[in-house]
Amino acid sequence: MPPILILGLGNDIISDDAAGLLVARMVREELAGVADVVESSLSGLALLELLLGYERVIIVDAEGTGQRPPGSITEIDPAALDALIAPSPHYAGLPEMFAIAEQLGLDFPKEIRILAIEAENLSEIGGPVSEAVRVALPEAAARVTEMARGWASQD
Amino acid sequence: MSSKVTIDPITRLEGHGKVDIFLDDSGNVERAYFQIPELRGFEKFAEGRPAEDMPQITSRICGVCPTAHHMAATKAMDALYHVDPPASAKKIRELIYSAFFVEDHALHFFFLGGPDFVVGPTAPKAERNILGVLGKVGLEVGKEVIGLRKQMRDLISLAGGKVAHPVFGLPGGVAKALSAEDQAAFIAGAKHAVEFGLFSLQVFRDLVLTNEEYVNWITSDTYTHQTYYMGMVDGNNKVNFYDGQLRVVGPDGREYVKFAPADYLRHVAEHVEPWSYIKFCYLKGIGWKGFEDGAGSGVYAVAPLARLNAADGMATPRAQEAYEEYFQTLGGKPVHHTLANHWARLIEMLYAAERMVELTEDPEIISPTVRTLPIATPDEGIGVVEAPRGTLFHHYLSDAQGLVTKANLIVATQNNAARIAMSVDKSARGLIKAGEVNDGILNMVEMAFRAYDPCHGCATHALPGQMPIKISIYDQRHELVREIRRDG
Repeated sequence: MPPILILGLGNDIISDDAAGLLVARMVREELAGVADVVESSLSGLALLELLLGYERVIIVDAEGTGQRPPGSITEIDPAALDALIAPSPHYAGLPEMFAIAEQLGLDFPKEIRILAIEAENLSEIGGPVSEAVRVALPEAAARVTEMARGWASQD
Repeated sequence: MSSKVTIDPITRLEGHGKVDIFLDDSGNVERAYFQIPELRGFEKFAEGRPAEDMPQITSRICGVCPTAHHMAATKAMDALYHVDPPASAKKIRELIYSAFFVEDHALHFFFLGGPDFVVGPTAPKAERNILGVLGKVGLEVGKEVIGLRKQMRDLISLAGGKVAHPVFGLPGGVAKALSAEDQAAFIAGAKHAVEFGLFSLQVFRDLVLTNEEYVNWITSDTYTHQTYYMGMVDGNNKVNFYDGQLRVVGPDGREYVKFAPADYLRHVAEHVEPWSYIKFCYLKGIGWKGFEDGAGSGVYAVAPLARLNAADGMATPRAQEAYEEYFQTLGGKPVHHTLANHWARLIEMLYAAERMVELTEDPEIISPTVRTLPIATPDEGIGVVEAPRGTLFHHYLSDAQGLVTKANLIVATQNNAARIAMSVDKSARGLIKAGEVNDGILNMVEMAFRAYDPCHGCATHALPGQMPIKISIYDQRHELVREIRRDG
């Protein structure tokens, strides 16, 4: 398998939560042969299994910080995440995964980048993708493609 | 001065799953509220869609327990299409479901409950996490949890297809029969799961039960409520996750009612509070009397603690031994201690593993006949299973073409919502005195709801970000006086 994974997270029946999946679909064809493109609605540590075996990973997801205008694209450096206490396994996220993978010596990616798209609506089943998020998708897709191609040309 | 303290785990959704604590003039707790978000719009979304799509659609609304939604919806489809699956198909469903229970319960105990109990409720914050757990139980155990989980996931894929969402359940059966090779893989996995279940119970004995302080917390009044308990039981009143009748016992442990899942609306009603999105379930026959303990209040609980209380025992031998030890140790039935959920969860994990062995060794499990084709006109179907987090109801009505006209879901956390609210309020009152609110105290308030493993809205799948907790203190005019962020 290619050493690069694009992981779109989200849920295509819950409004803007579809963002990560839509970006994955937009880049799949273009990155054929360069990266595996996977869509998932799973949460928490279930994601660990998806990441194992890849060298580099780009995760695309919706976020609802309420701090940024909807459609904002933020690149998050996972190394900056240090939260280790998950209030629920639903939220057991990347910091836990990093810690566990490192402690247990698992074959975990050496580099993970996260692109988060600020959502407007993340709580309505069957709701539409908002206009602000919809117009941000091509840019997010372009950034994913550029990043993946950059990595591929290094190797 | 009255002030307000908010424990607000900022997830992907600002303001979801938060605790508001109101202090009185002397800094003691006047009232604490736990808010759980509600995912809106499912009923509307389902209307007009083919009913047979519901097992796939509902499995997409939760990133943690898709298998539970898939199973409840599939059983509802059996009822809606008036079709009885072959015995082999029911066994395959229960086998897959048992594997799901093993991995889900294992994950919860070691990764979520573990920091509170294996490391300790008052341990320094820096150690109260999965790394602290691994430090106590050893790295090998961590690898074992990850490995067991992977094995269970692989078995589920073997039987149900390697897809993002489960697709094996169909009205009248399952999509695929098991081969003899599949069976062999399941037998190996099931035996491994039994060993792991026994090992986990030993970890609990060694690290929790031998620690007087932990046991005192478990049995303390702060974490105790006397309510009704609901759980699914088989024909012998033993715990069953996949099928059976729903049995409710009172705070005295005696059976209050036992009913067929299809009759749930005669027994379960929902109460609305102005401060919460969630509807609080209660027993219709008793009535809503507020967030009160006792036989006169309709509040009931679901999930491991409740299931063990509502049943007369476990249907498998090793789990039955563990069940007896549990009640003997905790002073007989029923156990009202919320934190005992963690122990009950491990007993259930062992039961699920033993049940896997029984089902895989049954020659019928590889029968090629796995579906009865539906021929009747669809109309209405109710499907109920025990999800890891408690009783899960799916209810659909359709027109003669099988298009959904009405849908209703009651998820586990709704059943538990009233008791969770009571637990948070009571623990906050018991732990916060004279305005002293520190990290250790807040963690112990959180432990009250973590024991239930509440699902904070079925939409959440991941959090690629921080999980800080925000504490906001307001004066009596609700103006922000102070804000503290606990970053993980």
